[in-house]
Amino acid sequence: MRILLWGMNHRSAPLAVRESFAVAEVGPALEKLCASPEIDEAVIFSTCNRVEIVVVTRDLEAARLRLRVCFGRELLRGDAPAPPIRLEDHLYEHLDADAMRHVLRVASSLDSMVVGEPQILGQTKQAYQTAVDCGAAGPILGRLFQHAFATAKRVRSETRIAERPVSVARVAAELATQIFEDLAQKTALLIGAGEMAELALSALRGAGLGALCVVNRSAERAAELALRFGASAHGLDELPALLAQADVVLCSIGGERPLLTCEVVERALAHRPERPLFVIDIGVPRNAEAGINDIEQVYLYDIDDLGALAQRNADERGAEAARAEAIVEEQRQRFDGWLSALRAVPTIQHLRERVEALRSAELEKLLRRIDLDAALREEFDAWSRSLVNKILHPPIARLRKEAEREEGIAYLEAARALFALDEAESDGE
Amino acid sequence: MALRIQALTAALYLLASLLAGFALALPSARAERFAIRALWTAALLHLASFALLHRLDPPPPLTHLPVAVSFMACIGTLFFLVLLRRVRMAALAVLVAPIAFLSSVFALRIAPSSAGASELALSSASWSHAHVLLASAGLACLGLSAIAGLIFLLEHRRIKTKHPLGARWRLPSLEALDRANRASLVLGFPLLSLGVASGALWLVRERGTPWSGAPHEVASLLAWGIYALLVGIRFGSQQAARPAALSAVAGFVFLCLAVIGLEVLA
Repeated sequence: MRILLWGMNHRSAPLAVRESFAVAEVGPALEKLCASPEIDEAVIFSTCNRVEIVVVTRDLEAARLRLRVCFGRELLRGDAPAPPIRLEDHLYEHLDADAMRHVLRVASSLDSMVVGEPQILGQTKQAYQTAVDCGAAGPILGRLFQHAFATAKRVRSETRIAERPVSVARVAAELATQIFEDLAQKTALLIGAGEMAELALSALRGAGLGALCVVNRSAERAAELALRFGASAHGLDELPALLAQADVVLCSIGGERPLLTCEVVERALAHRPERPLFVIDIGVPRNAEAGINDIEQVYLYDIDDLGALAQRNADERGAEAARAEAIVEEQRQRFDGWLSALRAVPTIQHLRERVEALRSAELEKLLRRIDLDAALREEFDAWSRSLVNKILHPPIARLRKEAEREEGIAYLEAARALFALDEAESDGE
Repeated sequence: MALRIQALTAALYLLASLLAGFALALPSARAERFAIRALWTAALLHLASFALLHRLDPPPPLTHLPVAVSFMACIGTLFFLVLLRRVRMAALAVLVAPIAFLSSVFALRIAPSSAGASELALSSASWSHAHVLLASAGLACLGLSAIAGLIFLLEHRRIKTKHPLGARWRLPSLEALDRANRASLVLGFPLLSLGVASGALWLVRERGTPWSGAPHEVASLLAWGIYALLVGIRFGSQQAARPAALSAVAGFVFLCLAVIGLEVLA
């Protein structure tokens, strides 16, 4: 049995290529794949950052050909034009131990674009559940994915890989919680618009931010944003009054000169010296004068400050990733041990069958020679069974144990030779 | 019996300190919850031990410095725990619990005796108790205000200089620390004032005059005056959080030097 993984991700293929393989419904593709005799088990994993197929096969070359067909034809989105690319340039292959390691790393978010992001575990569980529902996941992939989920849980609980935010938006939200006790009681003021400002606003809303006012040069745009975020829309002329009420200010508005000057902010805060003001300036060029950070109760963070914090957090995650990799390797070895132990199953089965055949034949011969009643026959039968089991127990237990190691193959071969299992097999044939 | 309870109290304070340390280092919300529970148990036992001490005949004098400090720690811890119900600042247990532990160990090492009690005239004993109880409770609240102020100053500086510690440390927010500072001041200053007033009445009973010019009296009155000024500025002119925190720390340092420092030197 071999475990084979083929796939492409955000590192091996650009978005234009990946989106051609973004399969919304993996069920039919899985069923088609498992209908092939060379594929014993399969799981398809498709997210915005990766498309991967992991299969269990007895015929490696045939499975490779089958996966080639799958990627070349079956996984291509129906409405998407075939990308003018060589698939080999974007696909990667992992075999056996590497494939196991890769699955564990993906579930633990070590292979993600943002290391430590939490969504990937849910997506992995979903992919596995789909395979189970289609009857495509068997005992080996079942065990591998259960191992992957356990690994992800260990990585989350034993390392700090997911603790610190690495996006500018989430860094801003975390900072707000360090300044304010209860964001639900706070009022935010969004000046201008822009993707980054909206992301930061969503993150702040996620952290529980209360009321929101939107100010924009364009009344239409302000009204549109206000509608989307359940806020009130205002013109720029209302800025001083709104600033005096705000606790968090998010600014991302165009303009050559800063909108929030020291004078404007000082005047707005004159009547509320005891309340802090958190200014998140995402505008380029900057919308707030750097000097406002010197005002007692103002905390100003511009895009560079937030970016530097996000990078620092990402570096810390990188350091934690090394610890997470060690956990992944430990878990992989455990799974590998279990998989290796499976190699002993046919040998043990043959051994039991061979000895059982001998026992039955010898018992039959004995019972033909002596005349015994039914009760005694059963007694003899049970006694011989017990004897055989007692003799076989130590070697079988040893075979199972040794099979978990790479060198265990020698024990299996020795057992086959000593008990003439291969001869018995060919006799049988 | 009271001493045994005090020893148990000290052990529980130590446990709470360790749990609070773990909660901060790991970080773990569960360890934090256990730390707060241990602190509640310790503070209530601590209070019970004082009640038992008071039933001794004659009771040991509260003017005994280790006992007064221990009482202060007990009241401060209880006030902190009550404040926790309104302000999210459980992480401060990492400072409160060790202070309470050291204070209770200090009181255990120098066990109070009833000997000093006989020295106090029966008529003035109640005033001396009232003075120590009120002044200690006031000091405890103002001490908590100073702890909140100190953490505020450190966090404020880190955020202003773009080096925040991050939410992982579960430290209280600046706003929570400011609220704790304000609440502690609101309760602590009146208690301190009552402590000073009862001290004057004690002197009147003892010596017939409210003022003897002793260094302790001069320093205490000066400290009270400084606090009165700080409270006036804080609540009279909507003082910003950072200067308020700075005042709380500076005021408490002076108060400790004036009240406890002079006592130790004497």
